[in-house]
Amino acid sequence: MSSQRDPNGMTRRQLMRHSAWFGSAVVLTVVGGEVISHIAGSTGTTKQQAGPTLRFVQISDSHIGFNGPANPHVADTFTHAINQVNSLDYTPDFVIHTGDLTHLSTPQQFDQVKQMLTGLKTPHVFTVPGEHDSTDDAGQKYRAAFGAGTRGDGWYSFDVAGVHVIALVNGLHMQKLGHLGTDQLDFIEKDVAGLSSDTPIIVFSHIPLFAMYPDWGWGTDDATQALSYLRRFSSVTCLNGHVHQLFSKTEGNVTFHTGTTTAYPLPHPGDGPAPKPVTLPAGALHDALGIREVSYTKGQQALALKEQNLQ
Amino acid sequence: MTSTTATRSLPAQLAVRFGIAATLAVSGVIHAYLYIDGGYRYIPTVGSGFLVQASVFCALAVLVLAGAPTLYSWAAGALSVGALIAFALSRTIGLLGFTERGWSPSPYAALSVIAEALTVILVAALVLAKRRGVKK
Repeated sequence: MSSQRDPNGMTRRQLMRHSAWFGSAVVLTVVGGEVISHIAGSTGTTKQQAGPTLRFVQISDSHIGFNGPANPHVADTFTHAINQVNSLDYTPDFVIHTGDLTHLSTPQQFDQVKQMLTGLKTPHVFTVPGEHDSTDDAGQKYRAAFGAGTRGDGWYSFDVAGVHVIALVNGLHMQKLGHLGTDQLDFIEKDVAGLSSDTPIIVFSHIPLFAMYPDWGWGTDDATQALSYLRRFSSVTCLNGHVHQLFSKTEGNVTFHTGTTTAYPLPHPGDGPAPKPVTLPAGALHDALGIREVSYTKGQQALALKEQNLQ
Repeated sequence: MTSTTATRSLPAQLAVRFGIAATLAVSGVIHAYLYIDGGYRYIPTVGSGFLVQASVFCALAVLVLAGAPTLYSWAAGALSVGALIAFALSRTIGLLGFTERGWSPSPYAALSVIAEALTVILVAALVLAKRRGVKK
């Protein structure tokens, strides 16, 4: 009986043997995955018991005032993003906007975006300027609208829930690449000098602090100097906008996460001659836009990120 | 003669099988460690990839060690090639939006690449040995 052949030439015994091996492969893979997930989960016991220490949302590149085929309704999609933040099942500790709030930095656009940001249900909104927020005045109108309590061109830092947050300005004096400048580098060095090395650091800026694609200006020429002051810290997370797409990268203790936009997508690095707005087929735009939830649990090295498309 | 050759090649085949199982286990355990304690689980998509890689490679290591059909060793070789390609992409054009530089995180990146390369070499040796056996 057991040696009966099917039309393809496999005996029943062989078929049973293959099924047993395949079944074992599936079971072992699933069990292995479960065990690893369980161990990973148990290392975050604090998170499960007490919840995240800090939760905030990143939005970026709203480009209020842009009017092109890639998105003729940037105010609507930005409103959509704000509503999505407000519909989270918790109140974020704060919301950061990583630059290019406006498209052409006119007073009307700053008024509009500032008014819109007041609709966010969160105790604090933090911003940094992008190059679109300083097209003609090195950021004066930006600072008039959002610069209260900041230093220099608009940089600052603050502590929250045991985390040190540094907001950097690298889009105001850019030539080809983003630029921080001597004053800001001095600020960073002094700002972190008194911190213990196990303090989690979050840095947000508009332009990436790593060389994502220097040919398109997607990098900061003096970021290496800034990051050298942060090398001693066990956990450094850098969040930025500018490139209108998600991208992650680690360099030793530093993790970089570029955020997407609420306005319009840009091409992937090197796709085409220049980073021009990409017009997507009808209905596909919302999938390219989004917000990012970020949470930090005391005792954990890395921040947890959750990306959400505009729904 | 044929039986003598077969008897002589048996320890070699066993050694290759143990070698494949060991290198698979090393790569799987490294990815599991990086997922659990290295912060990779927080990286979108790629984090889940580390979990899948770890569980699949560890499962294959057990199966190959237990004497699974050669097909599973071939699958191990193909998956190791895939893992090496993913590593190369993450160091060049990026993998699903994720990039890293050089051999970071050290020494795990280098160890997993060595383990996966050894898996590919051992599987290739196994395939060649099988072909020779068929010709004879």
